Amino acid sequence: MMGLSLRLEDAGYAVGSRVLELLCNREKFSNAEFSDKSLLVVLWLLFSLFQGNRRETRLLGVLSFVHSTVWKVLFGKVADSLEKGTEHEDEYMISEKELLVNRFISIPKDMGTFNCGAFVAGIVKGVLENAGFPAVVTAHFVPIEGQQRPRTTILIKFADEVLKREARLSQ
Amino acid sequence: MIVCVAVVGHQNNPLYIQSFTEAEDALKLHHIVHCSLDVIDERVNNPSKSGTTLNEAFLGLLYPALNYKVYGYLTNTKVKFIMVTSDLDVRDTDVRSFFRKFHAAYVDAVSNPFHVPGKKITSRTFSESVTNIVSSYSFN
Repeated sequence: MMGLSLRLEDAGYAVGSRVLELLCNREKFSNAEFSDKSLLVVLWLLFSLFQGNRRETRLLGVLSFVHSTVWKVLFGKVADSLEKGTEHEDEYMISEKELLVNRFISIPKDMGTFNCGAFVAGIVKGVLENAGFPAVVTAHFVPIEGQQRPRTTILIKFADEVLKREARLSQ
Repeated sequence: MIVCVAVVGHQNNPLYIQSFTEAEDALKLHHIVHCSLDVIDERVNNPSKSGTTLNEAFLGLLYPALNYKVYGYLTNTKVKFIMVTSDLDVRDTDVRSFFRKFHAAYVDAVSNPFHVPGKKITSRTFSESVTNIVSSYSFN
C-alpha cells in the first residue's frame, strides 16, 4: 500500500517539476488550446496575472498559482477550494469534489486508506519543491454529509524553512 | 557574437555549457560563467528596490568582463541561463528575445520524461536548437 502510494507520488513529482517549467515559460504567451468562450477568460488571466512573468516568492502566491493555473492546465478548471488548516500553521488544503484520477477508480475495501489522488499530490509536491517551497503533500478522502462519494483533499504541509522565510518576508 | 551559453541548475551545478568559438580558450569562458554565478546570487538574495523588480526573470547585464558582456536569466525553478557575448553594443530587447527562445528550448529538453532533473542535458535536439538560436543571433 505504502509502496504503491510512493510510486504514484514519484510519478506525479516528475510531472509536477516539468509542468512548472512549462507554465513559467508559457506565461508570456497565450495558451494554444482554448474554445471561443474561454478565450476571454484566458485573455483576462493573461492580462491580470501574467504581466512581467513573476517568480513566486510568497507562500500565498505560489499556493494560488497551484490552485488556479496548474489545475486549469491539468484538469481544465480551477480547484474547488483552497483552505488554510486550523490546527497547524503550516498546513493548507486544496479540495476537489471529484478528483479526475479518482473519478473512475474504486478502491477495494482491503486496501484501506489508499487514495489514487497520491498522483496529484505528487504533482503538487513537484511544483512546490521546484519553486522553492519544500512540502509534504498527501491526498485524503473526506466524507461529506449527503453525498455518496467523499470529497478528496490534498493536504500540503510546508517545511519549517518555508515558514521562517515567509515570516521574514512579511516584515 | 555570442561566444558561450550555459545552463546552471538551482544548486549551481552545471547542466549545459557550450562555447561557439574555437579561437578563445574554452576554459576561460567556463571561468567567466562560473564567476557570474556569484553575481546572480547577489542579485537574487539582495534585491535592490530601485533596480530590477523582485521577481524579474531577465537579470540583464551581470558584469562586463575584459572583452565580453555577460547576461543572466533566472527561471522560476532557480535554473540560471548565462550568455557571454563579445559584441560591444547589444540591444536589451535582442537579449531578452534570445533568452525567451532559449527558455523554450530548455523547457522542451526538460519535458523529456527520460531526463533526470539535476543531471546534465544530453539531448542532441537541445544542442541543435541552441546552435540554431545562437547562429540566428550572431548579428546582435
